[in-house]
Amino acid sequence: MDILAFISPLFVLLVIGGTLVGIIFGAIPGMTATMAVAVCLPVTYSLGLENGLALLLGLYVGGISGGLVPAILLGIPGTPSSITTTLDGYPMARAGHGEKALRIGICASLVGGLVSLLILDLFAPTLADFAIKFSYVEKFLIILFALSVMAALSSDLLLGIFSGFLGIFISLIGTYDVTKGGNGEWRLIPPGTSYWLESGFSLLPVLIGLFGLAAILDEAETGMKAGMSQKDVDIGKHERFSLSIFRGQWVNLIRSSCIGTFVGILPGVGGSAASILSYSNAKTFSRHPERFGKGEPAGVMASEAGNNGLTGGALVPLLSLGIPGDSTTALLIGAFTLQGIQVGPLFIGNNPVTWDAMIFAMLIANLAMFVLMYFAIRYFAMVVTIPKHILFPVILMMCVIGAYTINYGIMFDVWTLLIFGVFGWLMTKIRLEVAPFIIGFILGPSAEVYFVKTLESFGDLTVFFTKSWIAVLLWVLIALSVGGSAYLQTRKGKSAP
Amino acid sequence: MGNLTHVTINFDTSHLIFPTLIGCILGLLGLAIAIRDRRAIAASGAHWRDILGRMDKPRFFGTLALTIAYFSAMVPVGDIWPNTGMGFLLCSIPLVAGSGLLFMRERSLRKAVPLMIVAVAAPVLVWWLFTDLFFLTLP
Amino acid sequence: MTFNRRTLLAAVSAAAILGQPFAAAAADLPRNIRMVIGSTSTGGDTYQSASIVAEALSEKLDVNIKVDAVGAVNGLKALERDSRGTTIMLFHDFAYLAELYGGKGFVNPFEEFKVGATIATNPGNAYLVGANSPYQTMEDILTAAAEGERVRVAIQPGGVSEIGFSAMKNAAKVRAPGSEENIVAVNTGSQSDKNQAMWDGLADVINGSIQANEQFTQLDGDDQKAMRFVWITASPETLQQAPEAGMGQLTRDDMMDYASPETSVTLDGDQDFTFDKEFFLIYNKDMDEAMIEAIDQALAEIYQDGAIQEKQTAAFFTPNFRPTAEAAEHLEEKRETYKKVISEISG
Repeated sequence: MDILAFISPLFVLLVIGGTLVGIIFGAIPGMTATMAVAVCLPVTYSLGLENGLALLLGLYVGGISGGLVPAILLGIPGTPSSITTTLDGYPMARAGHGEKALRIGICASLVGGLVSLLILDLFAPTLADFAIKFSYVEKFLIILFALSVMAALSSDLLLGIFSGFLGIFISLIGTYDVTKGGNGEWRLIPPGTSYWLESGFSLLPVLIGLFGLAAILDEAETGMKAGMSQKDVDIGKHERFSLSIFRGQWVNLIRSSCIGTFVGILPGVGGSAASILSYSNAKTFSRHPERFGKGEPAGVMASEAGNNGLTGGALVPLLSLGIPGDSTTALLIGAFTLQGIQVGPLFIGNNPVTWDAMIFAMLIANLAMFVLMYFAIRYFAMVVTIPKHILFPVILMMCVIGAYTINYGIMFDVWTLLIFGVFGWLMTKIRLEVAPFIIGFILGPSAEVYFVKTLESFGDLTVFFTKSWIAVLLWVLIALSVGGSAYLQTRKGKSAP
Repeated sequence: MGNLTHVTINFDTSHLIFPTLIGCILGLLGLAIAIRDRRAIAASGAHWRDILGRMDKPRFFGTLALTIAYFSAMVPVGDIWPNTGMGFLLCSIPLVAGSGLLFMRERSLRKAVPLMIVAVAAPVLVWWLFTDLFFLTLP
Repeated sequence: MTFNRRTLLAAVSAAAILGQPFAAAAADLPRNIRMVIGSTSTGGDTYQSASIVAEALSEKLDVNIKVDAVGAVNGLKALERDSRGTTIMLFHDFAYLAELYGGKGFVNPFEEFKVGATIATNPGNAYLVGANSPYQTMEDILTAAAEGERVRVAIQPGGVSEIGFSAMKNAAKVRAPGSEENIVAVNTGSQSDKNQAMWDGLADVINGSIQANEQFTQLDGDDQKAMRFVWITASPETLQQAPEAGMGQLTRDDMMDYASPETSVTLDGDQDFTFDKEFFLIYNKDMDEAMIEAIDQALAEIYQDGAIQEKQTAAFFTPNFRPTAEAAEHLEEKRETYKKVISEISG
C-alpha cells in the first residue's frame, strides 16, 4: 500500500481540524454533521480530492460524535442521532455522573467508529451486494423494529404508544414526498395553513423544540431556581473512571457498532434509526432492561456505538454503489463530482489511492475524535456551571440558528421550534411521553413509504411474512422487543402497590 | 384466502392510506386511554388550576412573549438590510439581554454586567461565524 | 437598565454602519444576493451548477451571492416575496414540468415569474435496462409494447424523470395507437430506489443518468447489478459539446449511439423527441429590468472569458448560455412541445 502517496502533514492536519470543527457543530444543539459538511464542501474544491476528503470525513466523524455532549449534559440531543444518548446520559448527569457518562459515550463512539471502519475496509462490496437484497418489505420491517422501541421507552405503555403514534401522525402532515416515492399530494393540512405546512414540519426544529425550548419553558415555569443545584454542578469530577465499566458490555458494544454499521449500509433507512435500533436491542437483550431510561451506562454505550457505527456503514453503499447511505454521505457525492470522480460499483477498484486515503482519514478522524473529546471533557463540563440566566438565552439563540439554517433559511422552521417547544411542555403536563413521540416522528415518513410501496409493488399483505428469511428474522426480533417490553410492564405493574 | 390478503393500491390516492391507518390506531388508543383514565381526565380542570397556581407566571409567560416578539421581529428587521443576517443579530442582542434579566434571580448590577457582555458578544460572534465564515443565510 | 439601553443603541448604530445596503457599482444590483435553488441537496447537479455560476457572477459584479438549497416549493415562495432583486433562483426544467404534470402548488413560471438566462445543460438524463434484459434498444421496447407486452419503467413522477417516460408512451402511441397502455410507470423516488426497483424485478426499464449509472454498465453481465443504456434523452447538439472522452468507458461517440437520431423515440412520426435538462435563472416578476440586464451582461462577459466553460465541462455540464430574452423564448417553446406530449398521452 502506497500510503506515502497521499499522507502529508496537511492531510493529517485537515482530518484533525475537520474533526474538531465537526465536534463543535455536533455539540451545538441544532447543528448537525450534515451541515458541517455542507458548509465546508466548497472549500474542498481548491484542496484537491484526497485532502478535501480528509477534511470532510473529519467533519463527518466529529459531527456525529459531538452530539453526545449536549445530550448528556443538557438533555438536548445535539443531533437527531443522539436522541437515545439523552435517554440515559442525561439521567446519569443529573445523578452526578456526567463526566462518567461523557467518558462512556466517547469510548463507545470510538469502538463504534473503529468497528464500522474495519467492516468498511474488509467487506464493503460484499455488504453492498447483501444490502440490495433488502427490498421495500425488509426495509419496512427494519423501521417497524426500530419503532418497536417506542414500547420499550414508555413509562406508561398505553400513553407511550399513543405518543409514538401521534409522532408518526404529525410527521405525515404535508406533501407525500415525491423524492421518496410519493405522489406529491397534500394531506392532513388544516385549511388555511397550506402556505406553511405544505412541506410539513422539519425534523430538526421539532427535535430542538421538544428538547431545547421545552426545557427552557419548564425551567421558566418553575422559576429558574438560583443557579444549578449543587448536585447538578457536581457532575462527578472526582469520580474515578476505569474501563471496568465496560466489563460484560463488549457484546453490547460490538452488537451496537454492527447494527449502526448495517443501518448505514441500507440506503434510505436513515441515520437516526442506527442509534434507536442499537438502543432497543441493548434493552431487549439486557439483564436489567428496567434500568434503561433511568441512567443505565449500557444505554449510552449502545446509542453512541450505534451512531458512530453509522459512519463507516454509510460509506459502503456510497463507495460500492454510488448511493449515499445517509444525508451526510449524499454531500460527499458532490465532493467527488466536483473533482470529476465517478462513484459507483467500480470506484474502489478504479481509485485505490483515494480509497486508501479515505480509510486512513476515517481512522485518524476516529482517533482524533477520541483524543480531542476525552481531553476536552472538563471544558465541556464547565457548561453546566454557567448560570442559567446566561446559559438559557444563549441556548435559545443557538436553537434559532440551528432551526433557520437547517433548510438553508426557512422562517417557518423557527416557528416550528416554538410550536413544538410549547407542545413539548404541554405533553409532560398531560403525561404524554416525548421520547416515543420523537421516535415516531423520525421514523414515520420512512415507515409510510416502505409500507405503501410494499403494497403497491406486491399487492398482497402476506408478502410481509413470506418475502425472505430476512423478513422472518426481523419479525422474530420485533416480537422479542415488543414481548420484552410488555413483560417488563406487567412485572412493573405487579411490583407496584 | 389469497383474496383476503390481496390489496390494490391506486397511486393517485396512495397518500391517504398511511395517514388513515395511523389515524385509526390513534383513535383506538385514544379511546382506550379515555376509558382507562376517565377519572384523571374528569379532574383535569383541577390539574391545570394546580399547575397555573404553582407556576412562576411572569417568567413563563415572559419567556413566551419574548420568544414570540423575537421571532416576529427578525424577518422585518432583516429585510431592511437584505441577506446580511442583521435581523438575527439585532434581535438576538435584546433577546439574550431581556430573557437573561428575566431569568435572573436577585437581580443586581454585578450579575447584570457579565450578562450584558454575553448578550452583545455571543450574538456578534455567532453572527460573524455563520454569515462570514460559514457563509450561511440568517434572517 | 440604562446600561442595557445604551448597549443596544451602540449595537444598533454600529450595525447600521456595517450593514448599509451599499449598491453594487454595476447597475444598482443589491450588494448581497441570495440565490435559491430548486433542490434541497447540496451535493446534486443543481447546486453544483448554481455554485459555479454564483461564484463567477459574484466575482464579475463584485457582490456577495449565497446559494441556498431550499427546494422548489420554498425557493419559489422566497422568490415571490422579494421583488428587490435580493433573491434570485436557479433551477431546471422541473420549474415548468411540475405544473404541466399537475404538481400540487406549482404554477406556470412564464406567467407568475420571469424566466431568465440559461447557463448550462446536464446531458446525463438516460434510461437503462438490466444487462440480461431481452430489450437491446428502444426499438425493442416500443415493438414489445406494440405486441402487447407490458414494459414497466421506474421513474420519479412529476418532473424531469417522467418526461422521457411520457415521450416513450407518446412514441408508442404514434407507432401503434393503443400500445401506450403497455408502457406503465413504476413510481419510485431517488436514484437508489429506481436501481433497487430493477434489482427487485419490479421494473424492466429505469430512469437514471450517465453520471450515476455508467459504472453499472461496466459490470459483468452475470452481476445482478449490471445494466445497459438504451436511451440518452439529450439532443445530439448538446452531446456534441460533451467532452470527447465522455464518462468512464462511455465515450462521446458511444453516447451519440444512444441518443437521437441513432436511437429514435419519435415525437410525431417525423421528428425525434429530445430532452436537455437545462439550468436557468428565474426572477421575481416585478424585479427591476435593469438588474436583469446587468446580470445578463455580466454572464455574457463571463462566457466570453471562457473560464466558466472549463469548470462546467469538468463537472460534466455542457455550457449553454442564452441571454434572458432568447432563453425565455427557447424554454417556452420547449414547454409547449412537452405540454403537447403530455396531453397526447393523457387525452
